[in-house]
Amino acid sequence: MKITSIDRADAASGILFLLFGLFFGSQSLGLELGTAFRMGPGFFPLILSGVLMCFGLLVLFNAFKTDQPGDMGSFAWRGLLFILPAPIFFGLTVRGLGFVPAIFLTTVIAGLASLKMRPHWAILLAIAVTIFSTLVFSYALGLPFRRFGPWLSF
Amino acid sequence: MDLISNLGLGFATAASPENLLFCLIGVILGTLIGVLPGIGATATIAMLLPITFQLEPVSSLIMLAGIYYGAQYGGSTTAILINMPGESSSAVTAIDGYQMARRGKAGTALAVAALGSFFAGTVATLLVALFAPPLTVIALKFGAAEYFSLMVLGLVSAIALAHGSILKALAMVVLGLLLGLVGTDIYTGTPRFTLGITEYADGLNFVALAVGVFGIAEILRNLEGEQDRTVLGTNLGGLFPTREDLKQMVAPMVRGTALGSILGILPGGGAVLASFASYTMEKRLSDRPQDFGQGAIAGVAGPESANNAGAQTSFIPLLTLGIPANPVMALMVGAMIIQGIVPGPNVATEQPALFWGIIASMWIGNLMLVVLNLPLIGLWVRLLKVPYHVLFPIIMAFCSIGVYSVNSNVYDLFAVAFFGLLGYALIKLRCEPAPLLLGFVLGPMLEENLRRAMILGRGDPSIFVTRPISAVLLALTVGVLVVVLLPSIRKKRDEVFVEAD
Amino acid sequence: MTLTKTLAGLAAGTLLSTTAAFAQAYPERQITMVVPFSAGGPTDTVGRLIAERMSADLGQQIIVENVGGAGGTLGAGQVAGAEADGYTILLHHIGMATSPTLYRNLAFNPLEAFEYVGLVTEVPMTIVARKDLEPTDFPGLVAYVKENADTITMANAGIGAASHLCGMLFMQALDAPIVTVPYKGTGPAMTELLGGQIDLMCDQTTNTTEQIKGGTIKAYAVTTPARLAVFPDLPTVSEGGMPGMEVSVWHGLYAPKGTPADVVERLSASLQSALADPGIAEKLGELGTAPSPAADATPAGLKAKLEAEIARWKPVIETAGVYAD
Repeated sequence: MKITSIDRADAASGILFLLFGLFFGSQSLGLELGTAFRMGPGFFPLILSGVLMCFGLLVLFNAFKTDQPGDMGSFAWRGLLFILPAPIFFGLTVRGLGFVPAIFLTTVIAGLASLKMRPHWAILLAIAVTIFSTLVFSYALGLPFRRFGPWLSF
Repeated sequence: MDLISNLGLGFATAASPENLLFCLIGVILGTLIGVLPGIGATATIAMLLPITFQLEPVSSLIMLAGIYYGAQYGGSTTAILINMPGESSSAVTAIDGYQMARRGKAGTALAVAALGSFFAGTVATLLVALFAPPLTVIALKFGAAEYFSLMVLGLVSAIALAHGSILKALAMVVLGLLLGLVGTDIYTGTPRFTLGITEYADGLNFVALAVGVFGIAEILRNLEGEQDRTVLGTNLGGLFPTREDLKQMVAPMVRGTALGSILGILPGGGAVLASFASYTMEKRLSDRPQDFGQGAIAGVAGPESANNAGAQTSFIPLLTLGIPANPVMALMVGAMIIQGIVPGPNVATEQPALFWGIIASMWIGNLMLVVLNLPLIGLWVRLLKVPYHVLFPIIMAFCSIGVYSVNSNVYDLFAVAFFGLLGYALIKLRCEPAPLLLGFVLGPMLEENLRRAMILGRGDPSIFVTRPISAVLLALTVGVLVVVLLPSIRKKRDEVFVEAD
Repeated sequence: MTLTKTLAGLAAGTLLSTTAAFAQAYPERQITMVVPFSAGGPTDTVGRLIAERMSADLGQQIIVENVGGAGGTLGAGQVAGAEADGYTILLHHIGMATSPTLYRNLAFNPLEAFEYVGLVTEVPMTIVARKDLEPTDFPGLVAYVKENADTITMANAGIGAASHLCGMLFMQALDAPIVTVPYKGTGPAMTELLGGQIDLMCDQTTNTTEQIKGGTIKAYAVTTPARLAVFPDLPTVSEGGMPGMEVSVWHGLYAPKGTPADVVERLSASLQSALADPGIAEKLGELGTAPSPAADATPAGLKAKLEAEIARWKPVIETAGVYAD
């Protein structure tokens, strides 16, 4: 059998499935398996993990049999760097700083993910978003957010 | 002619100027909030619930129902425009709807969704009026074994959701099932896969998963090498469907409506399955299955109709039994109780004006939605002209608010980031997220019903085939598997033989 | 540029107005009532009913925040750690008393983390069955269950739910190992009971009253010391020969430990006035329950209740050997 090339995307997804299968499988082993009458919490996930690992292996195996390797293209590193922390930042600060500053900073952070967004425009946009969402969510809908949190009490 | 006099009473109630106004307000509010990315019908109703407390019971329920359809519609709009579903049902719409939008046919997609929803809404309302009590009897025949078999059928059908590798789609379903099991096991109270984080004890939040895997992953993809290309087609031609488009949507719409009406009655997973099942069906029946996932009209019309029909008929268990079929209906129960109406089997006889008023208002609400939204399509589509680098920070802000507003749980926001990363990785690895989402929604129900059926069957798995409805569903599953897998197995076998030569 | 300036001005304006004037009488801004369950559920309903009346009395809006999860322990834990200024309060039910036993790693101690405002209401429970179950009365049911212990099934809404607690008491009183089937919430459990897929359940009147009236399920007994006004013909568990099975889903209002005494007093007075409102009594009545008497809607009343209930449930849960962590 001739291995012409490896489909790196398929190989990586096979490995990803295997890793997830391993994680869930190993965790399931720590849970009670039970009987057919009263299945324990570990029974069903253990079976699923096994199935997932099988699929992972098959995908991995097939990756070595391909003729046309897939191209993964470029990665949005800047996007990953700024987009993913945005909701995390909001979560960390919404109670402490309060809704208004948290949503303002979240929007600024997300805005920086694009090269096209100059910082002062990001700030301007964030101001607009902050005013809009404060009016809509906090005043009009009365969501139980504190507008300014305890970290800012002065 | 009870029906006619009942419907007459209903329309008289629902069409009073005051109730019409509240219906309109509900529909508009629902659409507006629902259209914000990451906020679906459940979150919208939960947010707007207090507004309705000051009203008369009928008015408040009519308004809530209006919010529900409005939000559902708004959710489809964001799914189509920016690939950001707020509910499991609009996740399916996102698959082909967003592709249509990328091809400059956002207007068509939105119009198809609106028309499909209206048609489905009309038919389903009539069904509710005509057959609510007998349909309830069917729903009650569904026990754990039936649900399990239904879920299995749904999952197997999900294979057709993928337009790439079937193997990867299956793996994604299983991964979704596992992710759905995160949280406390209801049978023993044992926390599973939570890594010791109590905030995940009730499982991962669906909105967090959908927003991350669909929406954020898409934003990241659009940010790749943004200097050298424009992201969305600035060509926005085709605001309204052509005669050809309309012709293409009729059959899927009718089939979707039928499917949605039936599945919507089943409490629990029914309505969720409806849009997925409709998509599968359309793809199988289509002459050009390769178009699915690339912007097929049938892939929007079918699921949208199914989704709306299911939304409508999911009122049946609520109205006839007082039992909520999904989280939105649970919120409606809360609203009714606060209004001093305890929902139960007697609502129809004790409060006929309320009962029939709500049914009539369903149709009125759907009509209003279409009238409102067809002209709005132009506006929504123009939103796409907003430069992407301005749009996505706004999306991120609203997503954060929307996800947080569901349960005030900051860990849900951390989950958004995690699933955004996972979703982006999956795009890169050419794995499609829709099967993952379906697995995630069905995972807990699948396990729950499997275990419950085994308990009720005293550990004997024959319960799945000795109960007739369950047996039929399993037979259908086998049928679907054969139809879906046969062609590819045959192909595989040929390949093997070729290699052996 | 004018737009920018206006926007900046607006933002600055909001900032200023919130930091102004601090030293006024409590309450001088809106109060958050945390309900540790999802919106639309029975506890949420109780919370919103009293929040509305208390708002009117306090002259400040009380808004309900649903922080669901982990049997109510997440929301309770959040309030336990909140600022003790009276602007965050907690409405919790019987789960407050069962959580220290059910959750062995609970992050807070219910007896030490809160100030007590008062008892709100006690929702009775009913023992119900599918409508075609043979026995005609409660003693008949007891005999039937003992005889058919291995085929009878009993539903509950998951570990720690009221239906689960009541079911545990029932089984321990009967000393019969009935097969229990957990559901995710009372709604699905009730559906299956209506469909005859399961035999028994013990649930709050909030959920069962209308079904019993409609004849879709069969009721055998109420778990209160006296019969209920809505069901004058339905015997109590004691009448049916099972004393000690009294159980109710009681709701209490709490504030974080260290909340000033005068603030707690103000809240408590406000709660009492809300509960004295005939409109509240009527709405609670429709749910098959009633406002707690003024003597119980006090810090002392709630404290006594919580202490008694923690002591009561500890052995029940430990005997059953079920834990939620």
